[in-house]
Amino acid sequence: MLGNISLGRYYPADSLLHRLDPRTKLLGVIIFMVLIFMAQSVAAMLLLAALTIVLIILSKVPVKQVLSGLKPILFILIFAFVLNIFTGTGKEWLRLGPLKITDQGVYTAIRMAVRLTLLIMNTTLLLTLTTTPVMVADAMEKLLGPLSRFGFPAHEMAMMMSIALRFVPTLLEETEKIMKAQSSRGADYDTGGLISKAKGLVSVLIPLFVSAFKRAEDLATAMEARCYRGGEGRTRMKSLKFTSADMAFAIF
Amino acid sequence: MSRIVEIDNVTFHYRQHQQEPLLAVDRVSLQLEAGRHTAVLGRNGSGKSTLARLINALERPDNGTIVVAGMKTSDDSSVWDIRSTCGMVFQNPDNQIVGTTVEEDVAFGPENLGMEPSLIRISVDEALAKVGLSEQAQRPPHLLSGGQKQKLAIAGILAMKPRCLILDESTAMLDPVSRRDFMDLVQKLITDEGITVVNITHHMEEVLLADQVYVMDKGRIVLQGSPAEIFDQVEKIKELGLDVPVHMDIAWLLSKQLQQELKPLETATWEGAAAACLRMIEASSPEIAAKALATLKKDTEMNTGSDASRAEPNSSEAVITVKDLYYTYSKGTTMASEALHDVNFEICRGELFGIIGHSGSGKSTLIQHFNGLIRPQSGTVHVLGWSVSQNSDVKKIRQKAGLLFQYPEHQLFEETVFQDIAFGPKRMGLDTNEIDRRVLAAAEITGIDQDLLERSPFELSGGQKRRVAIAGILAMKPEILILDEPAAGLDPAGRDEILSYASQLREMGVTVILVSHSMEDIARLADRVLVLKNGSVHACGSPNEVFVDEDYLAQAGLSMPRARAFLHTMSNHLNGLQTDHYTPEAAVNELIRYRADQRQNQQEVK
Repeated sequence: MLGNISLGRYYPADSLLHRLDPRTKLLGVIIFMVLIFMAQSVAAMLLLAALTIVLIILSKVPVKQVLSGLKPILFILIFAFVLNIFTGTGKEWLRLGPLKITDQGVYTAIRMAVRLTLLIMNTTLLLTLTTTPVMVADAMEKLLGPLSRFGFPAHEMAMMMSIALRFVPTLLEETEKIMKAQSSRGADYDTGGLISKAKGLVSVLIPLFVSAFKRAEDLATAMEARCYRGGEGRTRMKSLKFTSADMAFAIF
Repeated sequence: MSRIVEIDNVTFHYRQHQQEPLLAVDRVSLQLEAGRHTAVLGRNGSGKSTLARLINALERPDNGTIVVAGMKTSDDSSVWDIRSTCGMVFQNPDNQIVGTTVEEDVAFGPENLGMEPSLIRISVDEALAKVGLSEQAQRPPHLLSGGQKQKLAIAGILAMKPRCLILDESTAMLDPVSRRDFMDLVQKLITDEGITVVNITHHMEEVLLADQVYVMDKGRIVLQGSPAEIFDQVEKIKELGLDVPVHMDIAWLLSKQLQQELKPLETATWEGAAAACLRMIEASSPEIAAKALATLKKDTEMNTGSDASRAEPNSSEAVITVKDLYYTYSKGTTMASEALHDVNFEICRGELFGIIGHSGSGKSTLIQHFNGLIRPQSGTVHVLGWSVSQNSDVKKIRQKAGLLFQYPEHQLFEETVFQDIAFGPKRMGLDTNEIDRRVLAAAEITGIDQDLLERSPFELSGGQKRRVAIAGILAMKPEILILDEPAAGLDPAGRDEILSYASQLREMGVTVILVSHSMEDIARLADRVLVLKNGSVHACGSPNEVFVDEDYLAQAGLSMPRARAFLHTMSNHLNGLQTDHYTPEAAVNELIRYRADQRQNQQEVK
């Protein structure tokens, strides 16, 4: 079902990681990315893996939840692995026709797979699982804040992002509903050629857009009625504060 | 008492590019007393929602003034103070939630007001506690039910510490149980918090809760007074296309038939109306009762209200057979929830089959099995002899069994109304002549004017769009028509019109399956009724078999149809009165028949 696509699957829990400032986490993810791609030795890899495990324990998020974040990239992971295995150079281990498996190839493939896995696990852990999308948006707004002096719409960008995230599940539900309604009228989305499938999409996309515009209009009115008037003078319930934990994490 | 809102002779037009200004509110004056519950009643398009937007300074009056808590809405500097004083809850639960978690959404208003973070935390927690959503604070809002979403909207306003709450058709998209629940919360806020409430609605039951009622029509206030005073003017309310409480309606109809007078406000209460009916029956002259009966008998032939007048279904041939059906969403995960549990029943050719149950009782899951949108996980569903578990059969089933979802106007997409209605027939591979014929025939049944056929469906009004959507299914000439809440969100006149198609189609031999929250509609229209409760069959049979035990119905979150309940009250005084009638008209018919029979018996004894 479309409704099962999980975007921004926040896992509510009370942990050190949940309490960290989202800005710290955002920067943490960026630093982690750099580290992962700099790490060449097995020792460095193991250290980063250990760090990830520590983070998982700290976050109190079940391991299964963290691993499920890998599902969407499983295909890419396998593809990259296979590609690397066959394209490496070095000592030849096995030959299958034009394809050969080499020691270098296997090392690169494993390193690539571990890197991708760690990368995804850390991003989902630090950002999607322990931080609500609104917090991420807030963090981006704050980090990009200095740019607004040069006319960069940091607040608007962040507001747009969080509203978009809020409406993803609603629009997915709606898409499913419209597809069912059109199927009841004889539309067929499963069989037929590319062209007839594309034509079929029209019967879904038009009602979806019409309803999205209607929703946007309603939402704008509702926001205005709740005194929304842009970023100026706005405060936050969860105002972002660096704590000693943030400091410790940053140093770490 | 202090006045929180004063509207003085306000006129407002909607102005759209290159179009005539549209008069929405016409010389309206009204005052809202602090701490009171005011209802504004009116049909769709009567200007009542515009009035709400004017109070909240979302629109400015063309003429006249609106003063909210001492501030003029036309004054730019007080707009934000007015909006934090008067919070507004809108109709569509999904389209007013901003936050990605419940508490973030509640914090949105206070954040806009620039409140201190620590104070926001306190008001958010308080507001959530008041509406009973504290436990949901961390959940994403799309996982809440419709009723919970509307309560969340109230919480978002309470967190701004308002003095006044405007409900703009906030219950229109809720089922009766959530609606009652929501109104209970509103009543509690009035007594506990002293909040002023303006409820804009077309639901008669909600109006009965108010202290003061204004009725609007074509932008004007046409009636005002207490609920009892308003509904005492039965004729006027009906003319405006609105509902009257069933007991008042019965008493009024009876007084007309028996040519008796009603005293002012006498029928406002259930008991009062029953007493008035008794008095009128005893005082009526035999000639008038007999004459009334004769005219009624003539009318009965047109009336589908009572069981006797209904033609028997053509045959007892089963067109849909459901056997040992089970269905669980997200089966095998921690999110698993059982939607259907051991469901067994049959639907016969030519009958109007009602399906009724609280939200989440499995109605929607069940009907999606009827054309194979959902396949049985366990058990079987056969439609016209084909199994919905077979891919090759599903295609045939979908040509014969039309399914219309709630708010079907959202599925329109073609360039013209004609093309949209023709979408289904085209998919069936019919030739152009046949398609033309079918589109025109479907448009005629649903009352769509010829000149609308070449217009874009998106230019039409809400009611017209729904007719187009229904015509789109009818043009496929289904043998079975499944209607999921076809009248949801419509005002009483619109509802009656849409439901009349259901009975018309039944007359034409189509098997109609009607899903509804409304006991009244189902009892009045259906040949047989299926009651679902938590995914299981709670009762199944004719209305007379199903609507018997008030307590048993209450277990499924349902109540006795009002007309039948009223006759039941009357039968305590009138021995031998039949109670199996479901419309005010049929009930009055029965009361008069009872009186005429009584006279006859007395004469025979003499």
